[in-house]
Amino acid sequence: MTVGQSVNRKEGRDKVTGAAKYVDDYHFQDIWYGKTVRSTVAHAQITGIEFLAGFDWSTVVLADYRDITSRNIVALIYDDQPLLAESLVRHVYEPILLIAAPTKELAELAAKHVHITYKKLPAVLTIEDSLSAEQKIFGDDNVFKSYTVTRGNVEDAFQSAEVVVEETYHVGHQEQLYIETNGIIATAKSDGTILIQGSMQCPYYVHRAIKELFGLPDEKVVVVQNVTGGGFGGKEEFPSVVAGHAALLAKKCGHPVKIVYERGEDFVASTKRHPAVIRHRTGLTRDGRLIAAEIDLTFDGGAYCTLSPVVLSRGVIHALGPYKCPNIRVTGKVVATNTPPNGAFRGFGVPQACFASEMHMENISRKLDISPVELRRKNMLHQGDYTLTGQQLTYSVGTQQVLDAVLERSDYLARRSHKQPELSNKRYGIGLSFYYHGGGFTGSGEEKIKGQAAVELTAEGTVRILTASTEIGQGTRTIFSQIVAQELGLRPEDVEFEENDTSKVPDSGPTVASRTCMVVGRVVQMAAASLKEEMAKRIASLAQCQASEIQFEGRHLLWQKDGEIISVSFAEAAERCMSRTGFLKTTAQYSSPPGIKWDDVTYSGDAYPVYAYAADVVEVEVDMDTFEVKILKVTTATDVGKAINPTLAEGQIEGGTVQALGYGLFEEVAWKDGKILNNRLTNYIIPTSLDIPDMETVLIENPYPYGPYGAKGIGELPMDGGAPALVAAIADAVGAVVTEIPATPERIMEAMEKLAVEA
Amino acid sequence: MNKFEYVNASSVKSATEQLQSDGSVRIKAGGIDILDELKERTINPKRLVNIKTVGGLKEIKEVKDSLHIGTLVTLSELASNKQVKTLFPALAEAALGAATPQIRNVATIGGNICQRPRCWYYRSEEFSCLKKGGNECHAHLGDNRFHAIFGNDKCAMVHPSATAVALVALQAKLKIEDTKGHRIVEIDNFFVKPEENAKAENILKPTEIITEVILAKPAVGSRNFYIKLKEKQSFDWPMADVAVAMEMAGGVCKAARVVLGAAAPVPWRAVAVEKALVGKKVDASVAEEVSRLAIEGAKPMSHNGYKLKVFETIVARALSVVASGDFSSKEGF
Ligand SMILES: Cc1cc2nc3c(=O)[nH]c(=O)nc-3n(C[C@H](O)[C@H](O)[C@H](O)COP(=O)(O)OP(=O)(O)OC[C@H]3O[C@@H](n4cnc5c(N)ncnc54)[C@H](O)[C@@H]3O)c2cc1C
Repeated sequence: MTVGQSVNRKEGRDKVTGAAKYVDDYHFQDIWYGKTVRSTVAHAQITGIEFLAGFDWSTVVLADYRDITSRNIVALIYDDQPLLAESLVRHVYEPILLIAAPTKELAELAAKHVHITYKKLPAVLTIEDSLSAEQKIFGDDNVFKSYTVTRGNVEDAFQSAEVVVEETYHVGHQEQLYIETNGIIATAKSDGTILIQGSMQCPYYVHRAIKELFGLPDEKVVVVQNVTGGGFGGKEEFPSVVAGHAALLAKKCGHPVKIVYERGEDFVASTKRHPAVIRHRTGLTRDGRLIAAEIDLTFDGGAYCTLSPVVLSRGVIHALGPYKCPNIRVTGKVVATNTPPNGAFRGFGVPQACFASEMHMENISRKLDISPVELRRKNMLHQGDYTLTGQQLTYSVGTQQVLDAVLERSDYLARRSHKQPELSNKRYGIGLSFYYHGGGFTGSGEEKIKGQAAVELTAEGTVRILTASTEIGQGTRTIFSQIVAQELGLRPEDVEFEENDTSKVPDSGPTVASRTCMVVGRVVQMAAASLKEEMAKRIASLAQCQASEIQFEGRHLLWQKDGEIISVSFAEAAERCMSRTGFLKTTAQYSSPPGIKWDDVTYSGDAYPVYAYAADVVEVEVDMDTFEVKILKVTTATDVGKAINPTLAEGQIEGGTVQALGYGLFEEVAWKDGKILNNRLTNYIIPTSLDIPDMETVLIENPYPYGPYGAKGIGELPMDGGAPALVAAIADAVGAVVTEIPATPERIMEAMEKLAVEA
Repeated sequence: MNKFEYVNASSVKSATEQLQSDGSVRIKAGGIDILDELKERTINPKRLVNIKTVGGLKEIKEVKDSLHIGTLVTLSELASNKQVKTLFPALAEAALGAATPQIRNVATIGGNICQRPRCWYYRSEEFSCLKKGGNECHAHLGDNRFHAIFGNDKCAMVHPSATAVALVALQAKLKIEDTKGHRIVEIDNFFVKPEENAKAENILKPTEIITEVILAKPAVGSRNFYIKLKEKQSFDWPMADVAVAMEMAGGVCKAARVVLGAAAPVPWRAVAVEKALVGKKVDASVAEEVSRLAIEGAKPMSHNGYKLKVFETIVARALSVVASGDFSSKEGF
């Protein structure tokens, strides 16, 4: 049994020893370097581009939007974002001009000699300004996309509510901060093929973007993922921009062109988590049962649409949290501002929604004087219940288990009644969050993508997986090899991978949406199962036995003949299987579990094939003079379906939780006039190892019948619940609820002052 | 960054001989800050003179009643040196609380005092500010949560150096050399306010280098201490810090220095607190009472009002620690 074992990470040794080659480790002799000249203003007409004297312009190659042969777009959803600005810039840092030079220094020096003049237009920099639509920057109302989901009769239900609780919550930007910054090398071949390699999550997204840019057929664009140092969503759509820039320069200068961002540039140029304002109005019975809810979410999309509609849709669907409420209306919109476009980031709209919904539970529990645990128990979803989109949960609902487990492991009830030390200026607090996250694409997304993967026998008699799912540090290669090894009676080390190259691997869909293990892992399992079936068939015909009699075990194929056990090594069997055809390869394609129904118009039905559930308990100590918060301990319990590799699963949960704690306590992008002030690690504060306490991670396995061995997606889930549990713990310590994160000392002080005024 | 020459100096003389009055040649000690400045393109020197190769500047020597600390002594060495720890815990603590172990192993005391401001407008290529020859301080109308609450009328940066805060409390002297010889400067006269010169934080000329920090051994009955508040527990400059040095006789304060860091463009003496302490038997309640004077004359800006409360608190805590002499209780501050 290899599934369920914490086998070593497939690529771990190469990464630790430095053998792994990241994009910046590739050096070609004739390589040139690309540099991007960006807008310095938030909203303006470009009135002129001057190339100053004092620089020898014959030593470099320039490219602007006029060099784009087909469509000047970053192809995604609305195609509203130009690869290079034409006459208008809509945010600071918007790319305008590209420079290629034989050295980085020369490219930089050239950039210093470009002078762009602007006629400034009024800039829309906040959600409030965008909503007022005084200055129109997108359509008539600045709204990229809006949704409404309704169930029951909300107005009537509010009439009968005994208590109504209302509050507005605010969350800001968050930067993904993958360790390796964005980087791409592009080569334009003489036959017109464009070759892209670099750091990315979704090779086929880049593939499509480059095709659109130059009007090329599939086979004329080849995208290869290099070893990638983290993504967290930040390398979902953004690499298309870098690749487009590098490709344009490569075509024009005739050299391979490398663009690797420095941290400061990566920070300002790439997408971030959407800021949001979320209002909750909830009607309850006096004993704490939810009977009516109105939730309104507004997300700041930035200057271009990017993935905002899908980010918002996930936020809307998760707006209530894993609770029942028979009468509910959720409205959501994502608006345009003259700030850099926001995009995918682990959690994809849910961390925002979850902070608001879980803090609202905290507020309700205070207002009604019901314990946070009781409030959750009263309203939580159970098997057979319906979500806000009307989806009935029929399997793998771990709500009760995760709540019980986290309470027990953290000793929550005993610790909550703990007395505050009287003389000390420190206050102890403990907070709870309870949440869920849908696995895979929303609604009919997976049906549209039809992700594929293949498995083939190698000449050495082992197995190779062909998939576009990328390894970005989360363990794709390890768990896929465990799944295939399990199916075929091999060891994970007997399984290898085809290079992640769009000319070699099928489109498995993007590496996003917590879908790699649960969706693509399942497809890989299916491909391995058909390989097994096909091998069994071929061997059976040679051995003159029944295919169904052949067992795959211990790297051998076994069957019985005349009472005797016959065994052939897998390698030998593989060779025999390929003797006539020369190869054996099986491909599988995803299809949704039976009975899944989704209506894109009414936004109702089965939003996700399954949800993963979790609960967090965070304990803190707050200094009552300075309002500094020290996190003492974090306990999480997660229903993962099945942990294919428990160590990797725990790693996902712990890493995601750290990101979530950073989101709740430290991380904040500071702005002035649409420019980012803290685009460096010295002042964009993330937790260091000294800021993160002991963590206890409980895995609960409540199998999902249509996942590989029961596994569900948990890549994003751990990003959702850390912030609200932390802020609830602060509230427990100081007595006031902070409604905006990060919960800085200033905000804690304000919340306490507000409470004092109200009292 | 731009292309530059890199030269190892073999002596103070060979280093100073290369320096130019136009500032086009810069000194590199540990290199922590100067490399940042190069990468951030706030400076474009023609040449960098590495002084880490100069002998004789790495020692901590006892000379009569003073301790002479060579400019190349690292923050790690300061934090672990026995004499520094016993005589000048304020300095040892300031050094220990800075940055990370790796950085402290290379960062020098001279470089620490001379590091440039962390102000995000100054550090960003996108803002031209008073320090860089521009004509406005962006902190006045922009986000100024980390900026000064004192002396902020012109440029609202805060001085970033933690050791400087301790050294001002300890009344250090600096030995400064150029090709012509050396001068000894009281640290009180070393840092300059933006009103005097907005482009520099101290009186050093581009042709001079610091070679020693000199500390007179404290009188009997003296105590000193340092406390820092930071956002995260590592990799971080102070959000607010304070150093206190007090001369006491029979529990009564005879003289005191109370210096605030991250409060003003220079290490800022809380003179009102210093005065109020004299003649008092300092205990926790006196500490609390006089700490309110720490923010006398403060002019908080739109986003940094929280610093008032923070400074009151850390001044009270530092005074209590110094008065009690129980330095171990700093745990948890
Ligand atoms: C993440 C991080 C956190 C930090 N936290 C703190 C903190 O909490 N507290 C704190 O105080 N500092 C902190 N620092 C700053 C760090 O301590 C200083 O950058 C370092 O001490 C500088 O010393 P250096 O020897 O590397 O100087 P260098 O970088 O070599 O030089 C710095 C400057 O001083 C000049 N210089 C150096 N030596 C001399 C000399 N002898 N004479 C004249 N000029 C000289 C150089 O020309 C340069 O302008 C932090 C730094 C980082 C990166």
